Amino acid sequence: MYLENDLDLKCKEEKMRIYKHPILGTFQKGKLVKFQFDDKILEGYEDEPIAVALKANGIMTHRYTIKRKEPRGIFCAIGRCTDCVMIVDGKPNVRTCVTLLKEGMKIQTQYGVTKKE
Amino acid sequence: MKRYELIVIGAGPAGLSAAIEAASNGMDVIVFDENSKPGGQLLKQIHKFFGSKAHKAKERGFKIGEELLKEARELGVEVVLNAVVIGIFQNKEVNVMLDGQIKHIKANNIIIATGASENVVPFPGWTMPGVIGAGAAQTMMNIHGLKPGNKILMVGSGNVGLVVAYQLIQAGCMVKAIIDAAPRIGGYGVHATKVARMGVPFYLSHTIKVAYGSEAVEGATIVQVDRNWKAIEGSEKKLDVDTICIAVGLSPMSQLASMAGCDMENNPQKGGTVPICNQYNETSISGIYAAGDVSAIEEASSAMIEGRISGTAVSYNQKYIGKSEFVNRFKEYSESLSQLRQGMFSHENKGRIDLTKTEEGYDISQNLLQNGYLSEKEVIKYPGVVSEKVRKRGIVPIIECTQNIPCDPCQTACSMGCIKIGNTITNLPVVDENSNCIGCGMCVASCSGQAIFLVDENYAPGFAAISMPYELYPLPQKGDKGVALDRAGKVLGEAQVIEVKTIKAMDGTNVLTIKVPLEWSMKARFFKY
Amino acid sequence: MSKTIERVLLDEEFISETDDSVIICRCEEITKGEIRKAVYDGMRNMNEVKRYLRVGMGLCQGQTCTKLVKSIIAKELGINPGEIEVPIPRSPTRPVSMQTYANDGINK
Repeated sequence: MYLENDLDLKCKEEKMRIYKHPILGTFQKGKLVKFQFDDKILEGYEDEPIAVALKANGIMTHRYTIKRKEPRGIFCAIGRCTDCVMIVDGKPNVRTCVTLLKEGMKIQTQYGVTKKE
Repeated sequence: MKRYELIVIGAGPAGLSAAIEAASNGMDVIVFDENSKPGGQLLKQIHKFFGSKAHKAKERGFKIGEELLKEARELGVEVVLNAVVIGIFQNKEVNVMLDGQIKHIKANNIIIATGASENVVPFPGWTMPGVIGAGAAQTMMNIHGLKPGNKILMVGSGNVGLVVAYQLIQAGCMVKAIIDAAPRIGGYGVHATKVARMGVPFYLSHTIKVAYGSEAVEGATIVQVDRNWKAIEGSEKKLDVDTICIAVGLSPMSQLASMAGCDMENNPQKGGTVPICNQYNETSISGIYAAGDVSAIEEASSAMIEGRISGTAVSYNQKYIGKSEFVNRFKEYSESLSQLRQGMFSHENKGRIDLTKTEEGYDISQNLLQNGYLSEKEVIKYPGVVSEKVRKRGIVPIIECTQNIPCDPCQTACSMGCIKIGNTITNLPVVDENSNCIGCGMCVASCSGQAIFLVDENYAPGFAAISMPYELYPLPQKGDKGVALDRAGKVLGEAQVIEVKTIKAMDGTNVLTIKVPLEWSMKARFFKY
Repeated sequence: MSKTIERVLLDEEFISETDDSVIICRCEEITKGEIRKAVYDGMRNMNEVKRYLRVGMGLCQGQTCTKLVKSIIAKELGINPGEIEVPIPRSPTRPVSMQTYANDGINK
């Protein structure tokens, strides 16, 4: 499915997605699905990395570190640095840059290694 | 325990090439890759490669990746994705983690082609969201269609930094600056000129002092450093950015080779700790090979040939090809590889600060190395730039290629024989003074460095027509009015689009022709709305 | 261990540097100053600094910080980074869940 469908108009409001690339043209995406991020319902494309869907929604912080409680987000984007980990469907330390988004997924900001107390 | 004749670890350019070579000789090959998509770094590369036709020059990286994969599949190579090789043990026993299970397998031969990982440079604030690796920017833009940010600071002026900066602009981002602690640009001059003419400033001998922001990057302060890498007080500059890309080199991911017991060496020229290999890419353990970035940081074109070399060596060891065939293949591949290892950016020459002349004896532009563009006085001295007398005769290609890099697509692009490089592909291209250019623009589109322009000083009285490569959206239309920029990205003044050529043979590089006052014929090199 | 390690502790005080607060090991949140202090305290190679501070023992297993830590130790000891003994990588190269290891060999 290419990003020119009426269903994608909502996503078009997001300014971070590239709709037509001078070399790559349009990007092939799965169907638009809803997912949960903390207490919000957001939209993203099925089978794109969770981190991509979050960034498209303007979310930069994925977790807060255990010692200094500092915000972290995407760093390497290929599953090596582990900075982008979040709680996904109850499981912590999931690398969101290589884990694919599915409909209805529950994504939570990780505080240390748990959700916010 | 299942035994394989050949296990290839990594489905990037080196791994796939090795698999293709071995499979084409009749071997059963299995390739394991930890990612969900094969192709390694190739899939993110949207620029045209350098080299010669044999090295797949002029082709875009992602297309080369698709071709390799197709060829591998057609030859019956089994490519297993999401499969992490977690260990190599004695007697070439391999542990692969797949679907939450560990498979124990044995191999007669292993080709390690695990590539490299990005280096980092720490600074206050570098752990904040908004600071990303240059590879991360590429992954987001070119694989997932997402802009990494809006206002970018690029740290590092090697090929990765320069190429990713250009790709960021193609994706619609603004690159506020490219900085490097070194006093000279580390990557190819032509990669720098592409972004310099679009107005991206270079700050050499500068490093990041601090990245600031409350939750994510909101800005950065850069500072000049002296020859001892000490910050010069008072030279701080504040940049309004929301993303900082780090492109400070690559290090081979050679952990598996080390684990397997191969003799290792710490070689800074090769990027770090690498297994010691012979000319067939075989490590100190018989039957274990290392190909591609894992053996030394180089270009993808070199990785592909190294893959071929190890693939052919394994085929010979397993008696799928005879000695004479092996010797011939190896000779062909190693000659091809040495072609790529010539020139200003070869292992021997890289980082040398004493190089002042090209192999032919032309001055290496210092302005290019320090600012990212050629000065007008410098550009006319090169063999690709014809004299004023010749320019007055009419349309002619102007080739602003000034460093010895193994690359020759321009030679074959011109059907009229205007451009000559010769057999040594690091030679600077020469434009024939008796050139009978027909203005087709194929050379403009074929130059992977986007360093070729067509200049017609006879376009109209008082006006010149400049044709340039253009790979951005939105694409201008005939009649559009805008401004012409010079090599440094400075606005010269008003210009109008008189032609836009978009043809399949040019593979995504449009040739844009603008009309400018005659005085700008050797100045105007970019167009903006 | 391939050579005898000279472990002469200096009489001087530990000298702080302006960038001591920069985080080097992102996963375990260990700063440059802590690494430099570890060398001052007598740690002499990657293995020792690693066990003393936990650098390289976090989620990413040293993927990001190893090269940086090596160069900091080298600078403190006044030697070439290439001379620092690096621990031999051991299996697994990437994090493996306990369940995966527990299942290994059961369904043979």
